[in-house]
Amino acid sequence: MSSRMDTIWSRLDRKSTAIAEFTMRQYRTRISTWVVMIASVVALLLVLLFYIEAMNTEIQAIDNDNDSVDTDGDGYPDGQERFHGTDPNVAEDFPANVEPDPPEKWINEDDIDWDELKDGENYVGEDNDKDCLNGFDTISQQDTNDNNIPCDVVVIVDSLNSTVTIIEDQNVDEDPDEDKYGKEAGHRAFILGIGKFGIVYLLGIFLPLFLATGLIREEMSEGTIHYMLAKPISRGEVLLYRMLGYVGVTWPFILVVCVTLCLITGFSGPGEDLFRWQDIPVWMSIAWSAMLVSLVYGTIFCGFGIVWKNGVILAILFAAWELGMAFVAILTGGDSSIRYMSVIGWGMIIVDAGAAIGWPDNWQLVEIGLWGGGHGEENWLGQVDYAPLPGAEPLSAFSGSPNLGVSTWLALVISSLVLVFQGVMAWFIGQTIFKAKEVN
Amino acid sequence: MMPDMTQHGKAEIEQWKPVEGTPVIMFDRVSKTYGRINALNSVSLGISGGVTGILGMNGAGKSTLFKLMMGKVKPSSGAIRLFGTDPWKNQAPYSRIGFVPEHEKMYDWMTAFDFIVTFARLHGMTREEASSEANRVLSFVSLSDVMHKKIGQFSKGMRQRVKIAHALVNDPELIILDEPLQGCDPLARTTIMNVIKELGAMGRTVLVSSHILHEIERITEQIVILHQGRVLALGNSHAIREMLDQHPHKIALECDDPRELAKSIIKIDEVTGMSFADKGRLLIETKHLGEVHKKLPKTIIDSGRRVTSIDNPDDDLQSILMYLTGGTT
Repeated sequence: MSSRMDTIWSRLDRKSTAIAEFTMRQYRTRISTWVVMIASVVALLLVLLFYIEAMNTEIQAIDNDNDSVDTDGDGYPDGQERFHGTDPNVAEDFPANVEPDPPEKWINEDDIDWDELKDGENYVGEDNDKDCLNGFDTISQQDTNDNNIPCDVVVIVDSLNSTVTIIEDQNVDEDPDEDKYGKEAGHRAFILGIGKFGIVYLLGIFLPLFLATGLIREEMSEGTIHYMLAKPISRGEVLLYRMLGYVGVTWPFILVVCVTLCLITGFSGPGEDLFRWQDIPVWMSIAWSAMLVSLVYGTIFCGFGIVWKNGVILAILFAAWELGMAFVAILTGGDSSIRYMSVIGWGMIIVDAGAAIGWPDNWQLVEIGLWGGGHGEENWLGQVDYAPLPGAEPLSAFSGSPNLGVSTWLALVISSLVLVFQGVMAWFIGQTIFKAKEVN
Repeated sequence: MMPDMTQHGKAEIEQWKPVEGTPVIMFDRVSKTYGRINALNSVSLGISGGVTGILGMNGAGKSTLFKLMMGKVKPSSGAIRLFGTDPWKNQAPYSRIGFVPEHEKMYDWMTAFDFIVTFARLHGMTREEASSEANRVLSFVSLSDVMHKKIGQFSKGMRQRVKIAHALVNDPELIILDEPLQGCDPLARTTIMNVIKELGAMGRTVLVSSHILHEIERITEQIVILHQGRVLALGNSHAIREMLDQHPHKIALECDDPRELAKSIIKIDEVTGMSFADKGRLLIETKHLGEVHKKLPKTIIDSGRRVTSIDNPDDDLQSILMYLTGGTT
């Protein structure tokens, strides 16, 4: 590198660190900084209380097939009798060499334990309690889904149209473990919900609202901007380095929040392991998304502050638009293309990609939970409205697919680049306005 | 050589060089309007070297003049050059300029030292360079002993000195001070005036704005009087004084017995008239202020009256402007 370039770079570097450092120290002296940070932490902790409460509450197990009942009163639950091939309705007929099971054992006795599903038809399911094999006499009764395999479940995955069809043989996987499923689904729904809405949207919008809107505006209205603008440094640079200081405060804060939540939920969440390692990619994507989103919002809001002394009003209007987009992005599960017209929509794609990487079975878990063992009432169209397992609906609501038509990792890269591009554009427009602005 | 008035685009900070042979500051028929208000009206100026006082009442256009120089606002018409460069388009000349804004608000949470170091680094200095420069300028304005205290604890005069010190950190060739004496106590005033005079003596170009004539007179002889956005007078303060001396002046005396005193004073040839204002107050009219002031002390002593104060109520900007504009203010 030529010595000329060297001096230009080191001088730029000196100016950028001077302003960024100054901005960070300035934040430290402002009450608003502490208020917004403490308020965010308090709000997150409150929500976390609900999570911990839910994780420590046993979900009531439901005996879907009623086989924990001892119909004939011989001391053996119906399920156990069916399992051993004795008649549950005849008191004299019971498995002689077996001790009677406690009824609880026959409540969640036929869990859904499917292998990883692939595109196309999958034949899964195991009749753990043998109430399909022993409960029905004819093959046609045992193979109601007509795939020539008695007592299984057919799952047709159509990833092109993102549909999953489940056709089960009767009494297969009909009695899942509600608590186990509910904890897992609830845990994931909590992470995705608080991640997408609480951290990426709310934190992503409130931090910049309080910390970035006045970044230039307050200096302008207090007259202190004159110190900065009287130096051989262009206004575009001032804006850029101020944003650098903003990032220096908000990014570590977002990281600390996400790491803390990751540790708390990772240790207290469901699962055999001491710590839920598989959640880490999800939390990382949430933190990364919130960082980028808060940077884009921050640059936009700072620009609003330059444009108008009441720039915060513009910022709030913008936040309302983004709130709508956040709902669109969350509720449609990544199917709506209108979310591309927003910042938050791209932020959500990052989280969805992170979830797909950390929990490759997530969509399958959603489908299993919504099917829930295949019980439900027939609606007026003659279709069965499945009764979902606890936690399945929230998980389904907060889960989404990156849906960019590319691989998960590529979706992550593309959405990150889009957000960076939005940030650069916001800076460019902001500095153009700033340069044309008369500062009195 | 004339500066290139049509220059466009921005220069690299490193590449920027002042245009040789141009005045430090050049205003060429510069006007600035805010809506329907004419803040500056076709002002042409060229200033290089020494201390220049910009004198004008509130709203005369002093601050607008400085804002234009500092590239804060864009001229409605005309051209401004700092070292031959347009300040609205290029910030590079600010590496040679120190600006003391009139705004009172400062970063109260910083120490004087930190404040100066931070903004010195915007000139591209390293931390070490900035620290040693900060020490230098703080001792120049005699604040070395309090430089590690928070600006918020400082008095008005100290704050002004911090602002001046911060503007000197890059060893500027041009120093612009917007109302540096406003609100300062007499001691701080003297200190600041001495600092400004010293800078002028060092060969720097210094611009000081004020609305008080005698303040400016104590600093410099080179004065620009702004009035309603126009340059009303430009030149040596003595010349302006002389011009003023051709106009009737008033001297106010406060004494125990104005009527007895008047009998003695009327004997001074240059006194053209007298009147009794409030109780114990005598107004003398003259066209030769200097002469009357010379003769006055002896006359008073001879009269044996006790005079408690001698004041020139006319000797302010208002009346100067009155004379210069022919009484249209």
